Amino acid sequence: MLIASLWSVLLIGYWFLATSGEKKLFPPPSKAWEGFKDLYNEGLVVHIASSLGLCLQATLLSVVFSLAIAYLSPVPVFKPIAKALSRMRYLPLTGITFYLAMVVSDARTMQVWVLVVFMSLYFITSLLGVINDISQEEIDHARSLRCSRWEVLWEVVIKGRMDYVLDVLRQNLAITWMFLVTVESILVAAGGLGVLIKNSDKFMNHGRIVALQIVILLVGLGIDWFLNFLRKSLFRYSTIGN
Amino acid sequence: MGTYYTEGPILSAENLGVKYGDKEIIKNINFQELDVLRPGRVQGQIIAFVGRSGRGKSTLFRCMAGLQQPNEGRVLIPDLKQEPVAGKGYPLKEVQEGDVGFVDQKYTLFRHKTIEQALHFAMRKEPLSDEEKEAKINQYLIDWGLEEVRNQYPNELSGGQRQRTAILEQVLHSALYIIMDEPFSGLDVGNVQSVQNAFQLISQTHELNTIIFSTHDIDMAVNLADSIYVIGYPTLEDGNLEPIGTIVKHYDLKAEGLAWKDQMSQDHYDLVEGIKAVMMGS
Ligand SMILES: Nc1ncnc2c1ncn2[C@@H]1O[C@H](COP(=O)(O)OP(=O)(O)O)[C@@H](O)[C@H]1O
Ligand SMILES: [Mg+2]
Repeated sequence: MLIASLWSVLLIGYWFLATSGEKKLFPPPSKAWEGFKDLYNEGLVVHIASSLGLCLQATLLSVVFSLAIAYLSPVPVFKPIAKALSRMRYLPLTGITFYLAMVVSDARTMQVWVLVVFMSLYFITSLLGVINDISQEEIDHARSLRCSRWEVLWEVVIKGRMDYVLDVLRQNLAITWMFLVTVESILVAAGGLGVLIKNSDKFMNHGRIVALQIVILLVGLGIDWFLNFLRKSLFRYSTIGN
Repeated sequence: MGTYYTEGPILSAENLGVKYGDKEIIKNINFQELDVLRPGRVQGQIIAFVGRSGRGKSTLFRCMAGLQQPNEGRVLIPDLKQEPVAGKGYPLKEVQEGDVGFVDQKYTLFRHKTIEQALHFAMRKEPLSDEEKEAKINQYLIDWGLEEVRNQYPNELSGGQRQRTAILEQVLHSALYIIMDEPFSGLDVGNVQSVQNAFQLISQTHELNTIIFSTHDIDMAVNLADSIYVIGYPTLEDGNLEPIGTIVKHYDLKAEGLAWKDQMSQDHYDLVEGIKAVMMGS
């Protein structure tokens, strides 16, 4: 923790120094701060809330969908479906967007669905990994206590790996968060951080862009921290990572 | 001292064989253990399997626990749901998963259940009231030295505590047979002693209680067991070993008057040397 804060101070110091010259690619902290104040006055908080809302909505939908698929994957009939869906993550999203566009017209709904499709494919992949890693011993242990197939699924796969689901969520959220902002700036709806980026982009306002990047990074890190905290406080036995 | 007589079979393997793909791991495994009665005593049996690693002990155990379907042959245990036949014991049936308690080498437990929750889960199908279960669990937790850690999860326990919990789960699940794969590996002296005590406790609580374990420690096997099987590779006619595990030798310590002794005698030590020699050559 101490070491980390030391590095942060050094980095910010370097930013001050490196941008104090005449001509520069990167705006100085003062500009970024001004950009930040601008953004704040334009309702940054509302935009963040809008992005978080979108994130939450898409996450919930895709988690429900992915869990259903992943939990069914040990059943032989469903295995190929789960595998096939997991492979779909190599599909280009433009294609998906194109077809989605034919079904939904409203930009917000569109954003949600693009994200749901995208996230689900990644979730399914990670969840299948988690389920595959369950050892034969764990399954046999349950069987030796006369657990039926469904009890094995419930006790070992579902309850026994609940903390992993939260961790998968956390890990995938990094890429989702990045993607979300991009989606917001491509499929422009009323608000969101992506819209702010796009607008700043148009006016070549460097200070604002840097400020926004920092805000997006911090919010992302905040979500990450929160999910990790949630996992550790809900599941005392969880020792994934640290 | 050593007087006993036998009744019907309590465990029998008939021509057991397991393959993984084309590779035969064990084959031709045949043995039968009879119910042993000692006048005036309750005496379950302790059966040891020894052998060098990779000879198929764990594979055999999984078959005996009904966790793995053998490719050939079958494992039979008494069917307690039927009426015993005088002088012959219970009719036999093929073993099924859950009939036999199984504690694997890593003492696997439910990672998301505390000791207490795990023990309740193990007893979930017992026809007892909640209070009776609670009382039974409390007593066992005290007897097995797990009282203080009852609310801890497996990852918060020591190896010995985890192992005792794993054994206790099977005891409370009312399995008469408990198979333990290498129960002594990786334990310190104190824990080895407490597992030995658990063995005695289990085998003296019910006539049919049977403990089956594997070990690399031949002294331990001779000290604890009343029947010892050596699993190894049989010698072919040309003098080479055939790389498929089977029973290469059986020692009945009861018949040799070596079972149920408090002290190891010279005869015991000679037996240890004998077993080691057989193991090395298989
Ligand atoms: N699931 C499996 N698939 C293929 N081979 C296996 C499997 N399990 C065990 N084996 C092989 O079976 C042999 C016997 O293993 P095991 O029963 O664990 O022996 P032991 O317990 O005596 O050390 C080993 O050669 C091992 O590699
Ligand atoms: Mg083994």
